[in-house]
Amino acid sequence: MEKSNLNDLMKRIQKDRDEMAFSQIFDFFASKVNAYFIQNRIRFESAEELTQEVLSTVWVKSHLYDSSKSALSTWIFTIARNKKIDFLRKNSKINFKEEDIREFLYQDREIDLIEENEARKQIERINNELDEQQKIMIKMNFFENKSHKKIADELEIPLGTVKSRIRHILTKMQEFLR
Amino acid sequence: MNGTVVKNQLIFDFASGILGPAKSLFASTYLELNSDASKIGNIFENMLGENLMDNENIHPKNLKYTDCMNNKNIKSDSNLKDPVTSFFGNLNNLNWKQVYKGFKEYTASIDDKDELKLIKMDPGVSVPLHSHGGKEYILVLEGSFCDEYGKYSRGDIQINDQKIKHTPIASKDTGCVCMSITEKDVIFFGKFGSFLNLFTFIKSFFKQK
Repeated sequence: MEKSNLNDLMKRIQKDRDEMAFSQIFDFFASKVNAYFIQNRIRFESAEELTQEVLSTVWVKSHLYDSSKSALSTWIFTIARNKKIDFLRKNSKINFKEEDIREFLYQDREIDLIEENEARKQIERINNELDEQQKIMIKMNFFENKSHKKIADELEIPLGTVKSRIRHILTKMQEFLR
Repeated sequence: MNGTVVKNQLIFDFASGILGPAKSLFASTYLELNSDASKIGNIFENMLGENLMDNENIHPKNLKYTDCMNNKNIKSDSNLKDPVTSFFGNLNNLNWKQVYKGFKEYTASIDDKDELKLIKMDPGVSVPLHSHGGKEYILVLEGSFCDEYGKYSRGDIQINDQKIKHTPIASKDTGCVCMSITEKDVIFFGKFGSFLNLFTFIKSFFKQK
C-alpha cells in the first residue's frame, strides 16, 4: 500500500472514526507487527496479544498521531517497540508506572522535531550511502535485535567485520546530521 | 575514543528497544532534553519504521480488527509527563542521601544490572579525581558542571570509560543536578588507593571549603 493511502486512511480514522478505514490499516499492519514480535523471539500467543494492543492503540489514540512529524509506519513501529519493552519488563520486579514514558516523546513539545520531508531526505541520503549488506545489518541488529555474533554467523562473515561495519554506519549517520 | 559513536549507539539501542530499564529511562530523558539527540532518534525510528513497512507478513490467527476497537485496556487520555517526573515525581521530595557537604545522591530502585542515580551538587562543589571501572553516563538535568574536558549544560551527556580521569566541578552560579548510569564501581586514584569507595574517601579526606 502507498504511504499516501495509509495517511488518508489515518485521517479518516482521526476525523470520522471510520471503521472501514481502520480495517484496512489493520489488514496492512497487523501481520507485519505480529511478525515483528515473533522476530524478536516473543512466543506466538503473546505476539498475537501484543499485536492486538498495538492496533488497539492505533485506534484509541489516533489523535496522538501527527503526520507532519513522522510516517505512520514509524509511529506504529514505536508503539510496537514500546509494547515489546513493557512485555519484557513485566518479568522483572521493576517499579515503573504503567503509563509509558516514551509516549511522551510523541507529544507536542517545544523543541523542534524534524519535519517528515526532512527526515525523508536524510533517510534517502543515508540509504544511498549504505550498501546492501549494511542495510541488512541495520535490520538484523536494530529491527530484529540480533547480536553481533548471530549476525556474523548468519551472514558468514567474521565477528570483527560486523562490529567495525556497524560502527562505521553509526559514524556515517552522525556525519549526515551535521 | 569517539564519544559520538557511543552516544549514537545509546540512541539507536534505545530506538530499537534493546536497552534495560535503567538505560531506557536515561536515554528517554536524554532525547527529551537534547534536540540533536532527539533528531537522530527520530531519523533512526523512521528507518526502523521503513523496515516495518517491508516486513514479512505473519497473520495473527485469532485476531480481527473489531477486537482492536473494543479493547478496554487502552485508555485514550493518559496524562503524559516527562520521563523524570513520571518516574521520580518532584525531585525536591526525594529522600536524598548526603554523601558529603554539597553533594547528594539518590539511587533509583530499578531492578537492572546498571545503576541509575540522581546527583545534586551545590554551586562550586567538586568531585575528587576519579576514574571508572565500567562505563559511566552522566546527563545534566539542571544547571551545569565542567571538568578537564569541557562544560556540560542541561541536556548534555558525558560518557566516561576506564581511560578517563576527571574532576567535575558544579557551576558556581547554579550548581547542578545530573542523572548517572554506572555499569561498575568508580575507581579512585592517588596514594589512598582504589580500594576506597567514594563515601569513605570523602568522609576521611575531603574537607569541604
